[in-house]
Amino acid sequence: MLQYLKKSAAFGLAAIAGAALALGALDAKPAKAEGTLIWAMPAAMSLFDPLQSCGWLTKNATHMMFDGLVELELGKPEKAYATLRPSLAESWTISDDGLVYTFNLRKGVKFHDGSPFNAEVASWNYDRFLKKDAPQYSPVGAAFLDFYGRWVASTKVIDEFTYQVTLKGPNYEWLQVGQSSCGQPEMISPVAYEKYGEEDIALNPVGTGPFKFVKREIDVMVVLERNEDYYGEAPKLDRIVFRQITDPATRMSALRAGEVHMVTEPTWDEIENVVEEGFTLLLQENVPSVWYAQFNMKNPLLKDVRVRRAINMAINREGIANEILFGTGHAEHGILSAGAFAYDPTYKPYPYDPEGAKKLLAEAGYADGLDLTMEIFDYGWNEAWEKWVQRDLKKVGINLKLSKLEWMTYLGKWLQGMPEDIAMNTMGWGWSVPYWTAHATRCDHHPPNGINGGWYCNEQVDDLYKKAIATQDQSEATGYYREANRIIMEEDVAFLPVFSYHNPILLAPNVKGFVNGQENWYDFTLPYIE
Amino acid sequence: MTRFIFARLLTIIPIMFGVSFFVFMLAHLAPGDVTTTLTGPYATEEVREQIRIKYGLNEPLMVQYGNWVGRIVQGEFGKSIANRRMVAELIFPKFANTAILAVTSAALAYVIGLFVGVFAASRPYSLFDRLAMAGTLMVGSIPPFWLGLLLVLLFSLTLRWLPATGMTKIIDGGYPGDVILHLILPTIAAAAAPAAIIVRTVRATMLEILSQNYIKVARAKGIRRNVILRKHALRNALPPIATICGLQLGYLLGGVLFVEVIFAWPGIGSQLWAAIQARDIPTIQGASLIIAVAFVLVNLAVDVFNAYTDPKIRISEGMRAR
Repeated sequence: MLQYLKKSAAFGLAAIAGAALALGALDAKPAKAEGTLIWAMPAAMSLFDPLQSCGWLTKNATHMMFDGLVELELGKPEKAYATLRPSLAESWTISDDGLVYTFNLRKGVKFHDGSPFNAEVASWNYDRFLKKDAPQYSPVGAAFLDFYGRWVASTKVIDEFTYQVTLKGPNYEWLQVGQSSCGQPEMISPVAYEKYGEEDIALNPVGTGPFKFVKREIDVMVVLERNEDYYGEAPKLDRIVFRQITDPATRMSALRAGEVHMVTEPTWDEIENVVEEGFTLLLQENVPSVWYAQFNMKNPLLKDVRVRRAINMAINREGIANEILFGTGHAEHGILSAGAFAYDPTYKPYPYDPEGAKKLLAEAGYADGLDLTMEIFDYGWNEAWEKWVQRDLKKVGINLKLSKLEWMTYLGKWLQGMPEDIAMNTMGWGWSVPYWTAHATRCDHHPPNGINGGWYCNEQVDDLYKKAIATQDQSEATGYYREANRIIMEEDVAFLPVFSYHNPILLAPNVKGFVNGQENWYDFTLPYIE
Repeated sequence: MTRFIFARLLTIIPIMFGVSFFVFMLAHLAPGDVTTTLTGPYATEEVREQIRIKYGLNEPLMVQYGNWVGRIVQGEFGKSIANRRMVAELIFPKFANTAILAVTSAALAYVIGLFVGVFAASRPYSLFDRLAMAGTLMVGSIPPFWLGLLLVLLFSLTLRWLPATGMTKIIDGGYPGDVILHLILPTIAAAAAPAAIIVRTVRATMLEILSQNYIKVARAKGIRRNVILRKHALRNALPPIATICGLQLGYLLGGVLFVEVIFAWPGIGSQLWAAIQARDIPTIQGASLIIAVAFVLVNLAVDVFNAYTDPKIRISEGMRAR
């Protein structure tokens, strides 16, 4: 037996040595293309028709292939919020009454297929979601761009390079509302549309952007390459590869093994170690991404505002930010998202006060506790923060049942609004303009006419929104938004905001120039590989 | 033999109908609707209905099932709603990737299972046997995704011998050596549990056979141990071993999902998961069906193999078919 084991050991060692040599031989081909950035992204992208996709991940590819009239400046991470800059429109003016937007379009711009961009093309793209009798009209596109399109009264081609949009009422946030992931129409080539048709245009994206589409392997990767004829500053990268790796631990392994350059949604508890190994961590505290639970105003147990207030007082938000998120987020007390001009980082009406919460619950008649249900969705975070909320509420006598649903099931239910027996549901969201809170809170946005699924309604708040968008004075608008936020959070207590996320990005040491801007998508014209 | 194969092939038809109906109903009965992601939060019911009509989702379920079966019989898997590509174009390359991983894992599991199992059975309760049994208990108990992580930690991140993720290098990859390199760790991770099961089955079966009188007679005649093991024992142990091997391959074809996820291997499992998340019914149906067909065909192959090696089965099955 011993002899056998010796033989086996010798054979094993020889096999390992042979394998190591063989592995070297198999890996003989050296990697080329130093200008390629590979990003390990956590989920799939949707269609590459900018009018028919609305996800943050997809936006990363579409806003590099397509341009709109204006775009967000995402290269200045030190600012509290991103502002607009010219894109296909070199400049624009707004009439004194705030209704007429005149865009002076850039001359000499060509789509990736060589066809020219001009005001007729801009009009063709706007008609695609505004004009029901246009042959290229897309009902789905119109639904996606509703945030933006609902304000438009008419459009007009003034001359070859001047395009005009007239709004139904003044809304000084309208242009920037168009910068959300389902926002302004990013321009596609009508020539390409003619060639591929409505069904296949999403598989053959042709825009004017700094990168061109190369290939897509569904649920594996998407490859873009630099547009050598781009009218703006040329991207430094030759190629971007958006590689889908759904498992967080696998993304981290791929980064450490040198197989990708960039990881988003890293495992929070590993960030410190990875940074010690020489990788770069980028955080952005002004990204519009507030994670919250919305209270259901129809739930009998939550009818009493003291219960809703007690829930807000019972949560140790700082604990979540530090011990669950490992500093990749900050405690959030309001429903205005960071990264929008009206955001107030000092607004903290709910310091952690479990004793005060207990007292309030007793006053409301729940000294012996109560049972509530919160619907949550699977976001790959293993309901870590929701469990923390559950634990904190337990301490004040509230038994919170977490009802976890797969994302699509959840989204379908979320859009319908909460039934009476559900006390709250969760979401992570935000825009680079404060007006997004209106979508979650306005009286006329109850499902099916909107996404105010908690059935909150306060006409005073609605009036504040109306005033906020109708003034050109940003400090005045800020006052209105902050007052609306105060009413929602302190008088009506319609939400349980928990934290704002800082979108941690880990980069390989040879990636330079990358900016984690104030959005959930990035400007890939900036980075390069050293 | 031809008659036997033909009879077994006929039994596949009702099985496939059953499976396809089950898959179809599951896909449709799951809550959620493809229009939710296709249209966004502000779509009116009218727009959603237009999409349902476009993809035939407004028809009664039985009509939809009939249409689907009609198309499948003609080899037409339909078009993915979420990706707008032909389902066949999506699922067959992914299934091929899964098959590569499943077959190599199964082959590794078979080799380990047979050699270790026979060797352990030939020296029952020896040090080797005890080590092998303890080892298989341990390896068989490790979840494949955990083993995968450990393998990556050792061979990719510490020793830097092997790639951690994917099927090829992203840049300049895809040549055969590259694929083989990427295949090694997922193969080991996926093979571990089946290998453990096969080792134990082979050992138990062989031990039983080695205790039979005819083996004792063979030994008494002075026939060498290797010959007894190979010609007299192993041959008789083959049918149950082949059955368990076939089952393991079947499970691997549908069940390497965890390994695919941990190694970002672009297989059918992750494709099916993505389709479920998007409620992309044509893709869900196509992918499930192809996995089911593979499972059934592998088991058919095992039956044929068993019938070939064991005339008793051939005769009794043949009689039943008559």
